Amino acid sequence: MLSTFGGGGFIFYKFFNDSKNITENLLKENIQANLLNIKYFLDKNLKQDNVNQLKAYLDNIVHSNTVLSDIHIIDNTNKLLYATDRDTMPQHKNITCRPISEIVTSNIFEQECYTFSIKLFNGLKPYYYTATVYLDKKYLDSLLKDKIIKYAGLFVGYFVVFLILLWFIVKKFLITPLEELRQFAYYSNRVPMQFLIQEIESIRYSLDLTFKRLKKEQEELFNLSTKDPLSGLYNRLSLIEKINWLISKGERSHAKFALLFLDLDNFKNINDSRGHEFGDKVLQHIAKVLLRSVRNNDIVSRIGGDEFVIILPDIIDNEAILEVIQRIQNSLSTPVVFDNYKYLITCSIGVAIYPKDGKDVTELLKNADIAMYKSKELGKNNFHFFTESLNNEIQEKINIQRLMINALEEGHFKLFYQPKVDIASNKIVGCEALIRLIDPLHGLIPPDKFIYIAEENNFIIPLGNWIIKEATQQLKLWENTSMQNIKLAINISGVQFKNKNLFKTIENSIKNIDPSKLEIELTESVLMSDFDEKLKIIHQLKTLGISLSLDDFGTGYSSLSYLKQIPFDTLKIDKSFIDDLESKKEQAFVNMIVTIADELGLEVVAEGVENREQLEYLKQMKCEQYQGYYCSKPLPIEEFEKLFKEHPCP
Amino acid sequence: MKKILLLTFIFFLFFSSCSQQKRRELRISTNSWIGYAPLFYAKEKGYLEAADIKLITNVSLAEAADIYSVGKADMVTTTQHEYYMLKNSNPNIIPIILLDRSKGGDVVLSNRSIKELQNAKQIHAYLEIDSINAEVLEDFLKHYNIDPQKLKYINKDQAQIQDLKPQKDKNILIATYIPYNIFLEKKGFHELSSTKNTDAIIVIDSLCTSQKKVNKYKKRLHELKKIIDRSIREINSNKQQSYELTKNYLGNISYGEFVDSLQLIEWINHPSKTLLKRIKPMGYDEKFLIK
Repeated sequence: MLSTFGGGGFIFYKFFNDSKNITENLLKENIQANLLNIKYFLDKNLKQDNVNQLKAYLDNIVHSNTVLSDIHIIDNTNKLLYATDRDTMPQHKNITCRPISEIVTSNIFEQECYTFSIKLFNGLKPYYYTATVYLDKKYLDSLLKDKIIKYAGLFVGYFVVFLILLWFIVKKFLITPLEELRQFAYYSNRVPMQFLIQEIESIRYSLDLTFKRLKKEQEELFNLSTKDPLSGLYNRLSLIEKINWLISKGERSHAKFALLFLDLDNFKNINDSRGHEFGDKVLQHIAKVLLRSVRNNDIVSRIGGDEFVIILPDIIDNEAILEVIQRIQNSLSTPVVFDNYKYLITCSIGVAIYPKDGKDVTELLKNADIAMYKSKELGKNNFHFFTESLNNEIQEKINIQRLMINALEEGHFKLFYQPKVDIASNKIVGCEALIRLIDPLHGLIPPDKFIYIAEENNFIIPLGNWIIKEATQQLKLWENTSMQNIKLAINISGVQFKNKNLFKTIENSIKNIDPSKLEIELTESVLMSDFDEKLKIIHQLKTLGISLSLDDFGTGYSSLSYLKQIPFDTLKIDKSFIDDLESKKEQAFVNMIVTIADELGLEVVAEGVENREQLEYLKQMKCEQYQGYYCSKPLPIEEFEKLFKEHPCP
Repeated sequence: MKKILLLTFIFFLFFSSCSQQKRRELRISTNSWIGYAPLFYAKEKGYLEAADIKLITNVSLAEAADIYSVGKADMVTTTQHEYYMLKNSNPNIIPIILLDRSKGGDVVLSNRSIKELQNAKQIHAYLEIDSINAEVLEDFLKHYNIDPQKLKYINKDQAQIQDLKPQKDKNILIATYIPYNIFLEKKGFHELSSTKNTDAIIVIDSLCTSQKKVNKYKKRLHELKKIIDRSIREINSNKQQSYELTKNYLGNISYGEFVDSLQLIEWINHPSKTLLKRIKPMGYDEKFLIK
């Protein structure tokens, strides 16, 4: 700014100086012309004694000229012959006069007086008068002062205008664009128009590009954080956020919304058989189907694996929910073809409704999940609304799951032993080890309460291993005692058969005992699926010298092909046949089973014998062994051993 | 970098345009005299304009000197009379270019014969008193033994003198120079004497200026010297053309009069050693002269 001011000052000084020089030159020429005229006039007209005749003319010259103030004519005796201003002669004292030849070199604004000689002749002999011309100092001063005032004013004025103009230019082309860039950099909401200054325009362009790229990346990141990359649906995090928002809204407006928990039926089979890549295609297809089936404001999300959650906001009644479920199921009912394979995909849906079935996200998701599991239990491709009783059921299941896990760690599982009695000798010849859960708090929990749960969550595998280990240890303990001939039977679940380590576990467990003392009981249901695979394991077990028993015979398909292909040693007649043994029909069935067993060389054990009559019937049918409360309920080991030793069975 | 160079170039242009000034015009104050014909010729040929030199033409040498003395001209053409007069008021003045020597150009005219004048009781003498006229007239009076007491001096410039007419009852004596003498002779005045037939008086016409200006404009003054030399050469070689170009400055004299007039002067732009030696005491020192 100082340099601008200095530069501006210099330019104006230069203009002022030029103007001053021009004025000075004009003034010099003016004075030169005036003095020349006066000199010429006096040279030509002044004579020794005619000054008075020239007075009027000289007066007129002075009065009509702004530059001149006075003329003095002094003769060769230094006598003043003429003065234009007759009254102010003393004022000219102390003024130095310069010859007219020095006009050019004199300071024209300061020099007040010039003088020249007037040559007069006496014959050809010259003598000289002197003419002194006084200039109007006030006029000379005013010329310079006017210029100074004018240029100073102009300088200040122009400088102010220049500053305003500079401010305007700087503001328009620098400050405003920079401010717009700042706002753009801060808010990045409005892209500024193109700027005139190239450097600023480059910054604007770069910022614009950067923000666009950032926005794109932000969207990508947002999608990554809120969307499931596979299906493009909302992910769990985003779902929770939206449910929370709906809950907040519902708290204010009492609006209800439904949460549909959808799980594909048997999706694991698809993944296992066709691979995960194929499974991903199916999931993408399902996502499209779901999006097509819901309303615009419904929320569809994938929260993991083959689990989807659909939120139906602002529902009024269950009809609307049913409509959506119907649409989903209808859409999925159309078989889908992938890689020339046709698949029929079904799903199970659990429904929870806010606020009835839950006040927060966790509760709603949990309850919808419960409802979905119930739906699966009901046979898949189904749906189920969450209810309080369902909740209680699930809670109990969860409680038992927890109890089982703790029980195994803390030794709350016990094996109870129910004797198998030889009907002919009335001696205890074997026993079936039955699992019991004795919780310190809840007491005895019957197996029908927890076995199916253990099978559902595969807890049956560690539990089964524990049973095998416990049973074989017990057999080891009985060795070399009076109970050394007791055959101990354990039950193997179908889930255990799916465990590849089953054979290895049993093989290791029987290393130190007589394997013929261990019997494995299988139900028909165990053999229902993957028969060939299981048959292979059964044959392997047989090679170990273990006995095999077909449990609950008669309740299932009772397929004779099982008896043909599986090397069973024993058939166990289901309790249901024994319960109605008074009826002829049941007797015929039991008799037929005993006969078949006899023909096949299998031992027969009747289960659930509770009274003398039943035993008598069995005796008549030549059934070999029985098991049931008539002899004893399942007993803890101490009591069983005591029973064996005392032989109290009737 | 390109921008910086461009800005520097613009900055340079701006300041160079501010600082570049037109060459200052030099002014020569002169008057109508055949000896100054090279200046008139150079002006008409455009030589002076090309050298930024302007000619200010006056009626008499005295006025030309006045113009110079007040600073309105940088150079002035003078005879030795004006040279001395100017030197009195400003001692810095020096002759820098010798132009011509009058060899008949300054004349004394009259309507009477010398004898009649010698016998006359009163003679009206018209002249430009404060000029070389006075010296020529004094020399004439002295030479022909005419009593100066009889003369009544009337100071007129050449333009006024030019208008004089012979009067029967008036003894008139006129000191003038070419070309004014031609007009006066046409009216009936006749020549009694001139610088042609006397060596007693030598009239030198030269171009004078101050030493300061010589120092300042040395190069340009050399240029001017060349122009004058060239003009004299061209006047001598082509009188017809030079007449056509200069006649307006010389009172529209005829070609014959022009040629005759040229006979009455001698160009001394390249002065002889003898002349230089002779005029040195008069203040025309060779050291001042531009070669």
